[in-house]
Amino acid sequence: MARLLVVDDESGIRLLYSQELADEGHEVATAATAAEAVERIKESEFDLIVLDIKLKNESGLDLLQKIVKERHNLPVILCTAFSCFKDDFSAWLADGYVVKSSDLTELKEEVKRVLAKKGK
Amino acid sequence: MDLVCCWHKEVVEPGGCPNIGEGEEVLYTSYQRRVLEKCIDCPNFRNDILKLQETGHPLGAVVPFLVGEVQEQRGRLQSMGSFLDSRDREIKFLHEISLVLQTSVDLDEVLSVVMTAITAGKGFGMNRAFLLLADKERKLLRGYLGVGPRDYGEAWGIWQEIQQGDFTLKEMAKDFYQTKLTSEKQKFHDILERMTIPLADQNHVLVRSLREKRPILVENAFHNPDCDHSLVQALGVDTFLITPLISRNRRIGVIISDNCITHKQITPQDVQSLETFAFSVAFAIERASLYERLQEELLKVTAANVKLKEQQELIVKMERMALVGKITSSIAHSIRNPLMIIGGFARTLLRGAAQDDPKREYLESIGQEARQLEEVLEDILNYSDSLYPTLDTWDVNQLVSSVCRELNGRLQERRVACRLRLEASLPPARIDYKQVAYCVRTIVNTAMERMPEGGEIRAETLRENGWIVVEVWVSGVPLSPESIEAMTTPFGSTEELGSGLGVAICKTIMEKHGNIFEVSTPAGGGTRYIIKLPVNREETQHGTIAGG
Repeated sequence: MARLLVVDDESGIRLLYSQELADEGHEVATAATAAEAVERIKESEFDLIVLDIKLKNESGLDLLQKIVKERHNLPVILCTAFSCFKDDFSAWLADGYVVKSSDLTELKEEVKRVLAKKGK
Repeated sequence: MDLVCCWHKEVVEPGGCPNIGEGEEVLYTSYQRRVLEKCIDCPNFRNDILKLQETGHPLGAVVPFLVGEVQEQRGRLQSMGSFLDSRDREIKFLHEISLVLQTSVDLDEVLSVVMTAITAGKGFGMNRAFLLLADKERKLLRGYLGVGPRDYGEAWGIWQEIQQGDFTLKEMAKDFYQTKLTSEKQKFHDILERMTIPLADQNHVLVRSLREKRPILVENAFHNPDCDHSLVQALGVDTFLITPLISRNRRIGVIISDNCITHKQITPQDVQSLETFAFSVAFAIERASLYERLQEELLKVTAANVKLKEQQELIVKMERMALVGKITSSIAHSIRNPLMIIGGFARTLLRGAAQDDPKREYLESIGQEARQLEEVLEDILNYSDSLYPTLDTWDVNQLVSSVCRELNGRLQERRVACRLRLEASLPPARIDYKQVAYCVRTIVNTAMERMPEGGEIRAETLRENGWIVVEVWVSGVPLSPESIEAMTTPFGSTEELGSGLGVAICKTIMEKHGNIFEVSTPAGGGTRYIIKLPVNREETQHGTIAGG
């Protein structure tokens, strides 16, 4: 079991991801904004962050840079509807990348892969 | 005194004067005219005057003086009359030629008139004429056309021909233009080729004539140190006339004319007449040349206009496409998350539902439909993505085989045979790998959707006129032109083609980056999709291939 933080501005997605990832046996916390995510990371230890690139009025990539800078051991999976972000150098800082889909198989596989890589 | 001549008689009886002939009967009674026209030249009159002198008559001393004066004045009048007659003929001739020259804007037609006028007996009657035109770009004076006989035999033939048919100058010029111009250019080809003189050669007699704006009559040419020896050798005559063609201070060219057959002297009158003629000739040649250039420019402008119109239409189309892309991209993003949530929760619920739960069917349907809509959205987002290509150098063979390998499972599932024919020595292409791979994948996927009973797909690569061509041929009933049009226009799809957006996006992506995308129906059947990618010349010579 791992502790995951899902950061997404859509409450429906936070709920769906929590449900599905919890079903996979993980403990899931959520955050709707970058500031809230920073708070959560300060408060608790997480094994993995699932981060939406496009948060309301802010960029998930900025948050990604902050996390990499301050907590470089904390793995991040970027999650987005924009496949073109794959070409953004900033996105390369992430440990994984998935395009949002109603079929969460890819996300779950990516979570497993990243956690295994980190020895979790 | 016994006077023999009738000069002292008011009226003469018919037959009274031996000098009055038939038709001049009026002179019998017209005393003044008879004396001035007949008596003054009559030997009897001269004898009568001598008799008067012998008798010491005062008139004997005065009359010879008066007669001499009258005869001299009459001679002068006749000479002036003859001069005026010749001038009158020349003016009429120049007028006739000018009318023809003014109405013609065809350079060869103008030259035909000019050269005929110079060489025809009804014109200036020179034996031979050469026209040299100034090539301003190359700064040369260059032989353009020669007219006349090459030898006496040919000259005799031409004169016979002219004598047999009584043609006007205009008719001769027309005949020359229609039947002889090309052969005449060819006839003096050897001489014309030797007539290339740099306009900078200020000492050359032809350039000097242009510079001084006056005709030069060259005589004793073989021994004239001022003459270009090679020019004299080419002409083969001792005497020739150079007439400059100048229009409003612009050097148009020169005309060299000679009497190489008859060796008739070139008179100052000939020189002056040709100089006068040269003014209208220079103007006509310049006008015809300008008209030719104008026609060329007009053609260019017309072509540019057509291209501009096409570009404008393309811009309008692109703007429409860009707008459509913007709107759809925006809609796609705003509905993607809700759609994902709907489909995601349907899957969650489905996983938790009992196997015999009748609601499973509804949940499955929600999940599948949501997934299908997501695929449509993926197409739309790919369109937006195409605005930002990532260009690099790639091996197209590797790309095609990779896509086909990726789709192998689906192809087998649908009983579609996929054959590859890849050109071995294909140069690299500078492309966005992801986008081109998306296009090849979309073509194969679209083809599969149209083959419920299975079929055949042939993917081929080849090199053609600086392009790398990816050709995908698909078996089955060929698409109609309407279907192709609908398929390649976003949101123009027909129902049986499914969403159809994929192929339209492929076309847009390819064309946006200077590639070519075509769908056609070859004569042998089926449908052919063609992608043409530019060869990366730089990399072909120096570099390596990314991912190759």
